[in-house]
Amino acid sequence: MRFIDLLSMSMNNLRRRKLRTALTVLGVVIGTASIVVMMSLGIGLRELNRELIESFGSLTAVEVRGNYYYGYGEDNTEPNYLTDEVVRQMEQIRFVESVYPMLETRVMLMQGKYSADTDLIGAPLEYLREIPLGQGSLPEQGEKEMKLIYGNAVIQWFNDGKRGGYWETGELPDVDFMGKPMFVIFDMDKYYQSMGDSSVKAPKKYLVNAAGVVEGDVRSGGSYSYSVYTELETLKNQLKRIFRKNPIPGQPTNKKGKAYPYFIYSSCVVNVDEMEHVSTVQEQLSDMGFQAYSSSDWMEQTQKQSMMIQAVLGGIGAISLFVAAIGIANTMMMSIYERTKEIGVIKVLGCDMGAIRNMFLIESGCIGLLGGFIGIILSYGISFAMNRFQTIGEMMVGVAGDISRIPPWLSMAAVGFAILVGMVAGFFPAMRAMRLSPLAAIRNE
Amino acid sequence: MEEKQSQTEKEITSSEKERVPIIRVKNLYKIYKIGTNKVYALNGVDFTMYKGEFCAIVGPSGSGKSTLLNMLAGLEKPSKGEIIIAGKHMEKMNENQLVAFRRENVGFIFQSYNLLQTLNAIENVALPLSFRGVPRKIRNEKAKKYLKLVGLENQMKHMANAMSGGQQQRVGIARALVVKPKIIFADEPTGNLDSKTTMEVLALMRRIVREQNQTLVMVTHDNHLATYADRQFHIVDGKILKIEEQRRRDEEDIAGERESEGQTSCNAGNMSEEGQVAGINDGVHSEKVENTDKGNAARIGKNGG
Repeated sequence: MRFIDLLSMSMNNLRRRKLRTALTVLGVVIGTASIVVMMSLGIGLRELNRELIESFGSLTAVEVRGNYYYGYGEDNTEPNYLTDEVVRQMEQIRFVESVYPMLETRVMLMQGKYSADTDLIGAPLEYLREIPLGQGSLPEQGEKEMKLIYGNAVIQWFNDGKRGGYWETGELPDVDFMGKPMFVIFDMDKYYQSMGDSSVKAPKKYLVNAAGVVEGDVRSGGSYSYSVYTELETLKNQLKRIFRKNPIPGQPTNKKGKAYPYFIYSSCVVNVDEMEHVSTVQEQLSDMGFQAYSSSDWMEQTQKQSMMIQAVLGGIGAISLFVAAIGIANTMMMSIYERTKEIGVIKVLGCDMGAIRNMFLIESGCIGLLGGFIGIILSYGISFAMNRFQTIGEMMVGVAGDISRIPPWLSMAAVGFAILVGMVAGFFPAMRAMRLSPLAAIRNE
Repeated sequence: MEEKQSQTEKEITSSEKERVPIIRVKNLYKIYKIGTNKVYALNGVDFTMYKGEFCAIVGPSGSGKSTLLNMLAGLEKPSKGEIIIAGKHMEKMNENQLVAFRRENVGFIFQSYNLLQTLNAIENVALPLSFRGVPRKIRNEKAKKYLKLVGLENQMKHMANAMSGGQQQRVGIARALVVKPKIIFADEPTGNLDSKTTMEVLALMRRIVREQNQTLVMVTHDNHLATYADRQFHIVDGKILKIEEQRRRDEEDIAGERESEGQTSCNAGNMSEEGQVAGINDGVHSEKVENTDKGNAARIGKNGG
């Protein structure tokens, strides 16, 4: 028997009992919609969490810090320094795409009557490229002149020494990053000495231009808002020029108090190719003797949590789909009782047993398909309505955003699953129909 | 009458030589167990049916005639014995093979017509062809051809439940014939029809089966109806009582019979009835039974129901 004939026979049978078909389909619609909406809530929750975490920094980045801030270890061995050599080793680790060494140093920034004591971070150009700039542009590759990129919240630390800072007055200091150059003091030790002791000569001030300012205003926050950045190589050159062979403040010294002939980075950002590999890389970095942090620790936590919530929600939805499946089975059984004679007749007329079974499977599958399809449409409607109330998302996660999200794979899977449920529910009745005796047909009532 | 009988006897002797057995039943038993009792529905049945024959299985209710038909059609398994149809042992086939066998070799006419109520006449007739995987266009063509043959050219698009009993049974006959079966089984095909339609349907079945040289096996409890068959298998208590052979009856006999029945039991449409009878008589006189009878059948179809 041709498939098209089977299909048209099945359709005929479904059309014959419109109300019953509609009610059965309604069951599947509700089942599918509840499972999809519940799943969409779970997915929305997870993605909201993810967005929240992502707003604190890249999820594939691992931050590595040397544990040398407290001097030598107890066993008096040299601590693990983050040197260029180590950076190269890190780059060799599997799944690692790139390593950005970071050099932090404290500086004094001065413009007019305002000054600020802040951290200057030297980072490779690749790292700087990820910073979203509100004004200005990044320095060119290979540019020799040192230029600064100011975080959008840096301005609040400037004060004129009299009226107190931004936090007291609520007024932004009159500092123009882009328009005027900045005086920068690198030798902070000397600077503070000169403040207290007039015999010490004040350190030299260097005039540095701005490259740009990070996007956003003082209050908008962001991962780059609180620091001043510059290109790593230009910073290294600058420091070398200023301090020559003397120890640079902030850089560790050897046992004799002498500077090392190379720079020791304060931290590194290790970029991993995919999120799944972050924990592996993190472990290896820890094995190398460094402290490694990543947002993925936090991510994993919330991920586990939202998985559980999703499972619970999905389970609730699944129950209603299960009930719908029973409905389908019931409808099919009824249909078979009603059509016992007809099934017998077509069997006598030579309809294959398999064809009879397939006919019923198609029928129940169609109920599933129809229910699944309408259910998806309903789900999109419900989801849309839920997302109108942004507060739900904010209440549960803390960030605004769509709480119910139906990705395309979910709607596809839901329809597929509904068809499958229909066919599984129809399988037992279909087998029963197939095994019906043709004798029932010729029994005359 | 005498003359006619001798004529048919000649026919028998001539066709005797080319008799091809199509159904052979050997020592067939069907035993039902009801509690501890054994009921012999069939108690050792032997017979042979030949190709092109119109056979009637006659018996009172409970005689086992329906059981026999069910087993011939492969709807029931015999307890013991052999059924060989077209050279194949039915008792050795499994259900799938039996279904396939019916699909390829057997047409079935039911007492209660058993048309699918959701389909119209054409679709009902085309149904067994669809089981064979015949494309819709071709099978609808064939269905129309057979519906014309049974005289339903004006009711082709009617749904099954919008037709009279006689019309439904004609559709049933067309459905049985459309697959060009070797054998047609008819289980009390006229049981639900009035006497007038019974005659029409009977004549129709007989004519078409003759024309196409098919074998028709009819089960009936009505001795009178059975006399229209070439051979009657009388069955009582699960045993063949006797086999009567009478090849004398031809189309005109049935028509004649119908004429008398029409006069006694059916008053409606007497005028057309007479017209038909006249036509038939003409046919007999001109010895062109087949041709005129075709026209006659068509007319019957129009009037039927």
